[in-house]
Amino acid sequence: MIRKSQNMIKYIIKRILIMIPMLIMVLIFTWLLSHMMSVNPVSNKIGFNLDPDVYERELRRIGYYDPWYVQLGIYLQNFFTGEWGKSYIVLPEKPVLEIIASIFPKTIELMIFPIVIVPIIAVKLGVLSAKNKNKSKDILIRLIAILGAGFPVFWIATLLQRFVGISLSRFTYGAIAIEVVYSNSPDLDGPPIDNFPPFMNNLFSFLFFLLLILGIILLYKNFNNFRDSKRNKNLIYTILGSLIIIISLVPIILLVIAFFENSYGTGFRIIDSLLYNDQIYLWDTLIHLFLPVISITFVSLAGITRLTRSSMLEVMDQDYIRTARAKGVLEKDVINKHALRNALLPTSNLIIGGTASALLGSLFVEVTFNYRGFGFYMVQSIFAGDFLVINGLLVFSVIIILTGTLVADVMYTVIDPRIIYR
Amino acid sequence: MTEIVLNEIKRDEKTEGKKNNFIRLLKFYLLPGWRDPEFTAMQNKIEMIKSKRRLFRRLLSPLTMIGLVMILFIVVLAVYAPWLTPYTIDHLASPYLPPDGINFADPTPAHPLGTTKFGYDLLGRLIWGARTTLTLAAIPVIISLTGGIIFGTISAYFGGLVDTILMRFVDFMYSFPTIILVIIITPMLGGSLVNVVIVWGFLFIPANMRFVRSLVLQVKQNLYVRAAVTGGADKMKVMFKHVFPNTISPMIISIFGAMGLTVLGLASIAYLGIGDQTLADWGTDIMYSIARMSAVGPAFWPGLFIGITAIGFILLGDGLRDALDPRLKI
Repeated sequence: MIRKSQNMIKYIIKRILIMIPMLIMVLIFTWLLSHMMSVNPVSNKIGFNLDPDVYERELRRIGYYDPWYVQLGIYLQNFFTGEWGKSYIVLPEKPVLEIIASIFPKTIELMIFPIVIVPIIAVKLGVLSAKNKNKSKDILIRLIAILGAGFPVFWIATLLQRFVGISLSRFTYGAIAIEVVYSNSPDLDGPPIDNFPPFMNNLFSFLFFLLLILGIILLYKNFNNFRDSKRNKNLIYTILGSLIIIISLVPIILLVIAFFENSYGTGFRIIDSLLYNDQIYLWDTLIHLFLPVISITFVSLAGITRLTRSSMLEVMDQDYIRTARAKGVLEKDVINKHALRNALLPTSNLIIGGTASALLGSLFVEVTFNYRGFGFYMVQSIFAGDFLVINGLLVFSVIIILTGTLVADVMYTVIDPRIIYR
Repeated sequence: MTEIVLNEIKRDEKTEGKKNNFIRLLKFYLLPGWRDPEFTAMQNKIEMIKSKRRLFRRLLSPLTMIGLVMILFIVVLAVYAPWLTPYTIDHLASPYLPPDGINFADPTPAHPLGTTKFGYDLLGRLIWGARTTLTLAAIPVIISLTGGIIFGTISAYFGGLVDTILMRFVDFMYSFPTIILVIIITPMLGGSLVNVVIVWGFLFIPANMRFVRSLVLQVKQNLYVRAAVTGGADKMKVMFKHVFPNTISPMIISIFGAMGLTVLGLASIAYLGIGDQTLADWGTDIMYSIARMSAVGPAFWPGLFIGITAIGFILLGDGLRDALDPRLKI
């Protein structure tokens, strides 16, 4: 065990060391792309009509005429010191890092429900479909899965928008592009000055605090009662306790970060509206998120269900399943313990890889519903030609995808302990 | 054993005549589970073992048949387009504006499904769009599969440094999200649909490279490859005569899946606005339908046809894979 974890740490360090040159190559590649596509940035600021001397002096000042290695060196130096440039068309004069920091939470809010719920439901559906092969349940599940996999996601989104969205708009209070937390409450004019940190002031923030205490109590009781007979009960309480602690710690950590940055919100609308007890804003956000979440969930369910079903079918033909049945193992244990654990490997790859690429915002759903998330700004900045924003967003997506593949590879050893990396 | 069977069949021909024998053979091949009462048990078992029957029987599963019907429907639409609608392609796409057309009209006998933006007939665009979709989906698949085969066999067969470099390149390309790269690169080359298609094909070469490399590695371990090398065949001959024909069947199965994905991807890119407005494409139809939110028809029918095409290809690919070798992880 100790040797395996030492190998594991060496493997992770090796992977991270490989990631750094790959990141530099990605930077050079995106710089090349933006260099080839860049419109003259000065012409958007000054315009073509003015004095050509001013024009040329400005270009020379920016560094437009410098040789390519000088430009590349300056770009890399700027990147690693944290100055990723300023956008000039999409959100004028806002630094790119600030754009990412304000936009990425919205995409996380959109994707948190699919990422958490879809693997659980899809694996259950896939197992159910493989268990009753070619019976009515199987055909129904395969039908729904093939509908989700075949029909384009923006088409489902458009139809939902037309049929359901028009009636849902009666329940909303306005556009979701409003930035400020307190803008929908009619009484407040400015930031609630006395209300920070909002731990004890209202019910919902107190709830998070309570959850933390509940999680700590659960874990404490769990680890003190080791003489309990059933192993499963301890496992469930451990998992439940740790989940509760994680869920309740997230807004607290974000609030601490916000406190140090002198801002009044965490950036996540749902958490903000819960903490500041603004029910109108919470309801508004949830109604606006309802339809995009349904579209994304439907399409993600389809892919994972199909993959789980096919790997389960392949595993169920093996000899050890037959041995387990002949031995007298209960049927539910044969399927959920022996077959599923061996079938879960390709599914886990898809789930974690899908999480990484889902965090980048599903472009089409955001463009359809006009939801200002990561994918929306990516598309807008590509069409506007704002190459600094494109660079920043693309490098950010690459970092997330690389981290996701690293986590997936590490998860292989957790799921299947026979796999060792040397 | 097969000689005994042939002798029996010949004897049956003499006693019973060719027509009865032919009917019995037809029944045997087409009706699943039909047992001829005159054959003995041993000959029945021999016939069951013959792989041709089981392959055909496995291909006849209901979902595969549905997929085949869908694809045949789209192909019929594509091939017989001039006969199915009175409008020609010149009257249905961009440089032409119908002089007395109403935008987003209700269905009339002249326009059976109504009109889209600029007054084009929706049913005509659906039928002529089948040609566009099938052609434009075939090109990236061919490009990516050819590139994948070339580089995959090179990297798998030569191994060592070449393999490492090519796999590092594949990892590098895997870290980018594909659609975003397509949207970035296409305007650089001029924004027409043909460029989108070629760029899409090139961006899927790394995935195919990895796939073909894994197939070739599996085949290379077999004994007949080593026997061929020992027998004195040079590398080219071993690669193309012994290794390559045994890797064709998974590649053919992957073509169907790739075509389904390509249809969906090209429709998505046309929906964003990058595309050729002079073609009657289904994705641009959905983009046109945003202009009026209350008209459901112009948004519903093109997407339905995109879905039918993609589902047909996926079902066919799945059925073929189940019939040939269910263990393939495609």
